[in-house]
Amino acid sequence: MASNAAVPFWRAAGMTYISYSNICANLVRNCLKEPYKTEALTREKVHFSISKWTDGKPQKPTIRSDTPEE
Amino acid sequence: MAALRREGRRFATPLISPRPIAAIRSPFLSEEDAPLGVRSISTQIVRNRMKSVKNIQKITKAMKMVAASKLRAIQVKAENSRGLWQPFTALLGDTPTVDAKKNVIVTISSDKGLCGGINSTAVKISKSLHKLNSGPDKENKYVILGEKAKAILVRDSKKDIELIITELQKNPLNYTQVSVLADDILKNVEFDALRIIYSKFHSVVSFLPTMATVLSPELVEREAESGGKLGELDSYEIEGGETKGEILQNLAEFQFSCVMFNAVLENACSEQGARMSAMDSSSRNAGEMLDRLTLTYNRTRQASITTELIEIISGASALEG
Repeated sequence: MASNAAVPFWRAAGMTYISYSNICANLVRNCLKEPYKTEALTREKVHFSISKWTDGKPQKPTIRSDTPEE
Repeated sequence: MAALRREGRRFATPLISPRPIAAIRSPFLSEEDAPLGVRSISTQIVRNRMKSVKNIQKITKAMKMVAASKLRAIQVKAENSRGLWQPFTALLGDTPTVDAKKNVIVTISSDKGLCGGINSTAVKISKSLHKLNSGPDKENKYVILGEKAKAILVRDSKKDIELIITELQKNPLNYTQVSVLADDILKNVEFDALRIIYSKFHSVVSFLPTMATVLSPELVEREAESGGKLGELDSYEIEGGETKGEILQNLAEFQFSCVMFNAVLENACSEQGARMSAMDSSSRNAGEMLDRLTLTYNRTRQASITTELIEIISGASALEG
């Protein structure tokens, strides 16, 4: 099923559709006017800690967060 | 119990039994009027217990109200998020029985405890799914969300774990967070079928563990050939310059993200609901315990008053007679 058509630029750059739609949503949120803009931006905060396991051993967890670590 | 034992030992040393048997027996002896002159347990101990049980009752009542208010807030979000994946199920169907070589089981649980049995049922179902799907060429891996499932699964399924994700609820749940999470899972794990296990929130007292299935695009192609709902995908016209394979890939990723969002929200609702009912039964039990302790307290108080009266009267009659 190799497609002959060119893949869209973001797919070729390694992004998934999810990251593409998140970036677009961020752009839309930044277009809002002031009081709504800060409300909408608080709805975008990300924080979780993910740790990959290989062979039954955990590796160091990395924290993906928008809030700065203090 | 330790307090009772300490009381017992205080009475045991004046008795001339050096062996620890007296120390062990006297907590039981001190509950009734023992013939060796040991007094009944002091009311101080019962009073302390009553105070601590009352505090526990207050705390669990407060926790129940906090959980109720959090539930109200998050229930609205969960119900709104149901609309995100329903079109996917209408388009692609939900095929829990699909036969996949690489299964990834995503178990969603809570980070905090005191929420009843939802975490253990979710883990039980994931384990049985793992067993159900194991076969000569099949592979099952776990992706774990939440501390509670991590604690249980780390004990016996260490080698099947791919990713563990915690601290999800530090900020209020929103789509961006879950989608970043879904993106990470997609990048790090290869799969033919993703099975997401979470507790679906039906009502405040009923949370049923459910499984949602998301297929990878290659699997969708394969199933499309065998007919059924997926076979009708070809009857849709595709606009724009994309091929069917690409659209399927975009759809599969977006479907995973939406289903995860809904699953995480519903699980959070179920967690708050389960915590409400657990704290409610805990306060009720504390109330019953308090009643029983009050009766014991009154009985011991009256028994000690009677004993004192008997001593005074017998002492007085011994002086006269």
